[in-house]
Amino acid sequence: MKLSFSAEDEAFRAEISGWMADHLTGPFARLKNRGGPGDEHAFFEERRAWERHMGKAGWIGVGWPTSAGGRGAPLSHQVIFYEEYARAGGPGRVGHIGEGLAGPTIVAFGSEDQKRRFLPGILSGDDLWCQGYSEPNAGSDLANVRTRARLVGDRWVIDGQKVWTSLAHVSDWCFVIARTEDGSSGHRGLSYLLVPMNQKGITVRPIQQMTGTSEFNEVFFDGAETAAENIVGKPGEGWKVAMGTLAFERGASTLGQQMAFRNQLDEIIAIAKANGRAKDPVMRQRLAEAWIGLQIMRANALRMLSQAGNPELPREAYVSKLYWATWHRDLGKLAMDVLGPEADVFPGEPGTYELTALQQLFLFTRSDTIYAGTNEIQRNIIAERALGMPREARA
Amino acid sequence: MKFAFTEDQLLFRDTVRDFLAAECGPAQVRECAAGEGRSPARWAKLVEMGLTGLTVPEAQGGLGLSLVDGVLIVEEAGRAALPEPLVDQIAIAAPLLAAFADRTDVAEILAGIAAGTVKLAAGHPLDPFVADAGDADYLLLGREDALHLVPRGRVTVTAEVSVDPLRRIAAVDWTPGNDTLLSADPAILDRMLDLGGLAAAAQGLGLAQTMVDLAADYARTRQQFGKAIGSFQAVKHHLATVQVAIEFARAPVYKAAFTLAPRDISHARVAVIDAAAAAARTAIQVFGAMGYTYEVDLHFFMKRAWALAGVWGDRHYHLARLSRMVLSDDAALGADGTFADK
Repeated sequence: MKLSFSAEDEAFRAEISGWMADHLTGPFARLKNRGGPGDEHAFFEERRAWERHMGKAGWIGVGWPTSAGGRGAPLSHQVIFYEEYARAGGPGRVGHIGEGLAGPTIVAFGSEDQKRRFLPGILSGDDLWCQGYSEPNAGSDLANVRTRARLVGDRWVIDGQKVWTSLAHVSDWCFVIARTEDGSSGHRGLSYLLVPMNQKGITVRPIQQMTGTSEFNEVFFDGAETAAENIVGKPGEGWKVAMGTLAFERGASTLGQQMAFRNQLDEIIAIAKANGRAKDPVMRQRLAEAWIGLQIMRANALRMLSQAGNPELPREAYVSKLYWATWHRDLGKLAMDVLGPEADVFPGEPGTYELTALQQLFLFTRSDTIYAGTNEIQRNIIAERALGMPREARA
Repeated sequence: MKFAFTEDQLLFRDTVRDFLAAECGPAQVRECAAGEGRSPARWAKLVEMGLTGLTVPEAQGGLGLSLVDGVLIVEEAGRAALPEPLVDQIAIAAPLLAAFADRTDVAEILAGIAAGTVKLAAGHPLDPFVADAGDADYLLLGREDALHLVPRGRVTVTAEVSVDPLRRIAAVDWTPGNDTLLSADPAILDRMLDLGGLAAAAQGLGLAQTMVDLAADYARTRQQFGKAIGSFQAVKHHLATVQVAIEFARAPVYKAAFTLAPRDISHARVAVIDAAAAAARTAIQVFGAMGYTYEVDLHFFMKRAWALAGVWGDRHYHLARLSRMVLSDDAALGADGTFADK
């Protein structure tokens, strides 16, 4: 066991922190601490330029294997990368779905040809991806996918609807699970397709969130097409590939997420000290408990990532989503309680609906315990897979 | 001893509930939020039903009812997320002014409230903003332990934006004068805060119930895994837990409306703030991703509850006040003390 960083690690730290200091300047300076969940609408084009800028310098795919065009960085470097990115106020990454989900899935399950065609666009920051999983009747019951794809000549023709598709309105590609076997149901008969977004057969409708802004969408496929070779895995193997993608959601990017959480907690503590609520014994305890929760998540992530390469997901992987989602939702409430009456007033002019960063945090964290598997589904997974309990009775 | 409402009180409550269900359903609230934010037509009907004069003394043309009657109506206003400022008239302004009805000008204002020709807004020094100040004819404002009755023409109003899209708040700039003084009784502003706290608590109760009702309706119809999601224990237990919190907040609110005792009001306030926060959190969870959208009505109720949790003394304030009362050296303890109402 080793929890400290080596001299070589520190040299890497100097490299990334130096690069951030040199580059998050000029036109990019105003992107500091902007974007990310709840703030995806902010400076989108500028953040897209920043993504390309990072790509040019080789900072996309830090943890990807070198054979896939990544840096093949060890865990310690990935930890450091996310620490320094957050410390510098690095903006929310517009390419995170490609880098964190689509790319690793193609690396793990894709053909050599797919790797050649799709990975460079992710690594350069040119191609943005979105995830076509949920449907109106396939939320928690994800296997109830009804979007269909038929092979017609050398094209897949896709009809159906996806929903809650984050960033679909700006994405170039979507990975879609679609039913490709007639009469199949549940996990069987699904395929994992890579579909270009910019085509006549696809309509994207933004969904307005309670924040007043939109970052996820409904996506309608009406005879949409993609080339026959744009299938990851074999026809009918879509569920296996999709679950592989979900496992990457629990990967190294959670380290970056924790740094964002750290920044938020720091801001809340600073406000509590400034406005006197830090003197209140109840608030003091809640702040200390939030700090404890953050340390737990960090330790759990390091423990989980140290076992990367183990094909079986360890129990600590199953518990992480439930834990961070609940912790973060409670942090949003804590932020409002620390702010007191000030929390109830928006900063903009009458007639506008602008939120402060902490108000955005509060409202957006209402969804943390829902997306990427609700708390209820997470508890079922923990009970059934980690504890071996019988599956819940289903109709 | 009888801790229950009369049949008349409940009948009146039901009448108002039916009226608001027809005139102020979620679709109408949404329409209001997208438009002018207030409905003069609905206000006229509320006046016609005599609701603005609910707690105005009969001598001034009101119904002369108490806050025990009023609390049920305020709860209904919360349940519907009523945008118009009915609650401020019946639960804050009229009860405060009624004590000064021997003054001719005050009697005229009370008569105006009952007739629907005069609207009041109320602001305690604890709160930086006053709700519906811009539209009010008079404002009840506190300054240095005294309560003032200030005509709209004597204040400057600067609108701010509330998290609740239907709440109109404003900073109010004004100068007290001898001619605006209503009362210099050192207890008067505490009384105002208590009335405001009770009003916010009763509305919060209604809001919490609506959020649970909306979520329960959804859980009965939304299907996943081939079944209504409400059939899963993980979902139904969530809602049952919140309903427990609501019921355990309901009794303190009704008791506070009867005693108007500061400790009961603080208790009611804390219980309702917690129940409404749990209702909002749980209802969103039950609705899943839909619950996080603007397209589902839930957020109107959640945002109203959020805004009301921050005014008339927030949770922090009322818990601190309660702990001072409970822990004071002369606090009554023991068999005849703990439950005593004095």
